[in-house]
Amino acid sequence: MDAQGLKDNFAQVAQHGDAVALFFYSDLFLRNPGLREMFSIGMSHQRDRLLSALGRIVAQVDNLPELVPFVRQLGADHRKFGVEALHYPEVGQSLVATLRYFSGAAWTEALARDWTDAYTLLAKVMVEAAEEDAKQRPAWWNARVIAHERRRFDLAVMRLVTDRPLPFQAGQSVAVEVPARPRMWRYYSMANAPRPDNTLDFHVRLIDGGPVSPVLVRAAVPGDWLKLGPPVGTMTFDERSGRDVLLVAGSTGLAPLKAILERIALSPAPPRVHLFFGARTTDGLYDLDDLTKRAAGSPWLTVVPAVSDDRAEGTAEQGVLADVVARHGLWRDHDAYVCGSPAMVDATTESLVRLGLGTDRIRSDKFADA
Amino acid sequence: MTSPDNPGAQRLTPAELQAVSFRRAQLGRRGFDEDQVRAFLGQVEQELVRVLNEKAAMQHEVGRLRDRITGNPQGITTAQAEDAHIQAVRILSKAQETADHYVADAQRYSRELAEEARRGRDEILAEAKARAVLVLEEAHRQATMAAEQVVPSSEPFSGDERRNLESEIAYLRTFSDVYRTHLRSYLEALLRNVEEWEHSERDSLSSARAPLPRSR
Repeated sequence: MDAQGLKDNFAQVAQHGDAVALFFYSDLFLRNPGLREMFSIGMSHQRDRLLSALGRIVAQVDNLPELVPFVRQLGADHRKFGVEALHYPEVGQSLVATLRYFSGAAWTEALARDWTDAYTLLAKVMVEAAEEDAKQRPAWWNARVIAHERRRFDLAVMRLVTDRPLPFQAGQSVAVEVPARPRMWRYYSMANAPRPDNTLDFHVRLIDGGPVSPVLVRAAVPGDWLKLGPPVGTMTFDERSGRDVLLVAGSTGLAPLKAILERIALSPAPPRVHLFFGARTTDGLYDLDDLTKRAAGSPWLTVVPAVSDDRAEGTAEQGVLADVVARHGLWRDHDAYVCGSPAMVDATTESLVRLGLGTDRIRSDKFADA
Repeated sequence: MTSPDNPGAQRLTPAELQAVSFRRAQLGRRGFDEDQVRAFLGQVEQELVRVLNEKAAMQHEVGRLRDRITGNPQGITTAQAEDAHIQAVRILSKAQETADHYVADAQRYSRELAEEARRGRDEILAEAKARAVLVLEEAHRQATMAAEQVVPSSEPFSGDERRNLESEIAYLRTFSDVYRTHLRSYLEALLRNVEEWEHSERDSLSSARAPLPRSR
C-alpha cells in the first residue's frame, strides 16, 4: 500500500471542504435509504466530525500504533448509534465513490485498490473492537428520571436510575440522548461516586439555543426515559498519589468534582480537600447548601464559594476562580482537578502553573458551550 | 501566488482560510471588527468551496463527454446510470444543505430569543432591587413624619419618655403599613408575571415523550 499516495490524494480531495462530506452522506443515503434515520436532521456537525476523523486517520495511516487505539475507540463508540458490522461495507463503498468523484482525472486503479484495502483493514479493526466491547457491556443504557429539581430557571439537578449497572469512575461522563431530540447526543458528567442502587445524578445548565439542555432543564419530569452511552473521560481521582487535593469547579463543572469528592469521602483516611465553587452570580451557586453541609460533617474538607459579577455575600469570595484560588495559598504539593468552561479551565490552569504546580498534577475537563 | 501556468504552486484552500487567526487589537486601540472579519472569511471560504466544486463537477462532465466521444458502446449505459446517480447525489446534497440552513437559522433565532429573555430577566431583577430600596426609603420617610407629629400629653409617664414611646409606636405602625401595602401590590404584579411565564413555557414545550426501545 502506498501511504504517501493516499495522503496526497486525500489532501487534494479535502480541499473541497464540506462538499466532500456532503457528497459522501448523500451517496450513502441514496444507496442505503434506511441509514438516513440513524442521523439527526441537521448534519453540519456530523460532516465536520467525519472530515476531522478521516483527516486524523489518513495522517496516521502509516503509524499503526497510534492509529489503532483511535480507530478501536471509534468502533466501540459507534455501537450506541446502532451501527452494526453489516453497515461497514456500505460506508466503504460510498467513501471510495466520494474520493473518486473529487479526485477527477487523478483517480487511478491503484488508488482505488489502496483505498479499498485501507478501508477494509480499518473496518475490520472497528468491527472487532465493537464486538469485544459488546461482550463487556451493552451498546447503551436506558435510564429513568426519578427526581428533577430546578435550582434556578436555567439550572437543574436530576437523578436517574439505570436499567442495569453502569460501572464508571468518579469524574467520568456519559453521552445522553433524550427522546424529544433523537440522534443528538450530549455529554454530561455523573455528579456522584458509583452507588449500589444504580442511581446517577446530573447537573444541567440550560444553554441558550442548544437542542438538548433546554429539554433536560425545562421539560424532563420523573418517569421520563433517556439513553446513556458508555462512560468516558480521564479526569478521574488518582487514589495512589496520597497528596492533598484541590478541586476547582465553575458552575455545573461542579458535577464531576462532586463525584470525586464522594469518592474521596469513601476512603478510610481522606486527604485534605479544598473545593472552590465559582459562578458569575450568587444564585449560580446552585449546590452550595449541600456542599456546606458536607463540609460541616467532614473535618478534612474546606469549601470556598466565589462569585465574579455579583457583590460577594456571606462566605463567598469575590473574583474569578483563577484569582480566588491563587489568593488562597500554595498548591504546589497538591493534585488539582479543574472543571468548567474552556475559558475558566484555561485561566485556572495557567494560574496554578504560575504558582508552581506541574501540569502533570492538574487534571481537567472542559465543558462544551453548545 | 496563484498562477495557472504552474499547477504545483501553493493554492489558497478553504482549510487554510479556516485556520487564519488575527492578533487581537491592543487595548484601547481600534482594529477591524472581529465578527466582520470572521463573517467575511466565512464568505470567502464558501466561495472557494463553491468554485472547487464547480471545477470537480466540470471535470466529471469532461470525463463523461470524453468517454462518449472515444467511447465503447457497452460503456454508455453504465455511464448514463452513473450520471443519474451523481445527479441524485447533487439534488440530495442541496436538500441537505437547505435543511442545515433552516436548522442553523432556527437555532440562532432561539438563541437570540433566549439571550434577550435573559437580559430582560436581569433588568427586571435589577429594577425590583432598586424599587425595594425606594419602598424602604419611602416607608422610613413617612414613618418619621408620623413620629414627629405625635402630640405630647399630660399622663403619669414623664413627658419625654412617653413622647418617645409614642413616636416610636407611630413610626413602626406607619412603617409597617406603608411597607406592607407596597410589598403586596408588588408581589401581586410579580405573581401575575410568573403565571404568564409558566403558561407560555408550558405551551412552548414539545410533548414528544416516546418510550425507549430496549437495547440489545
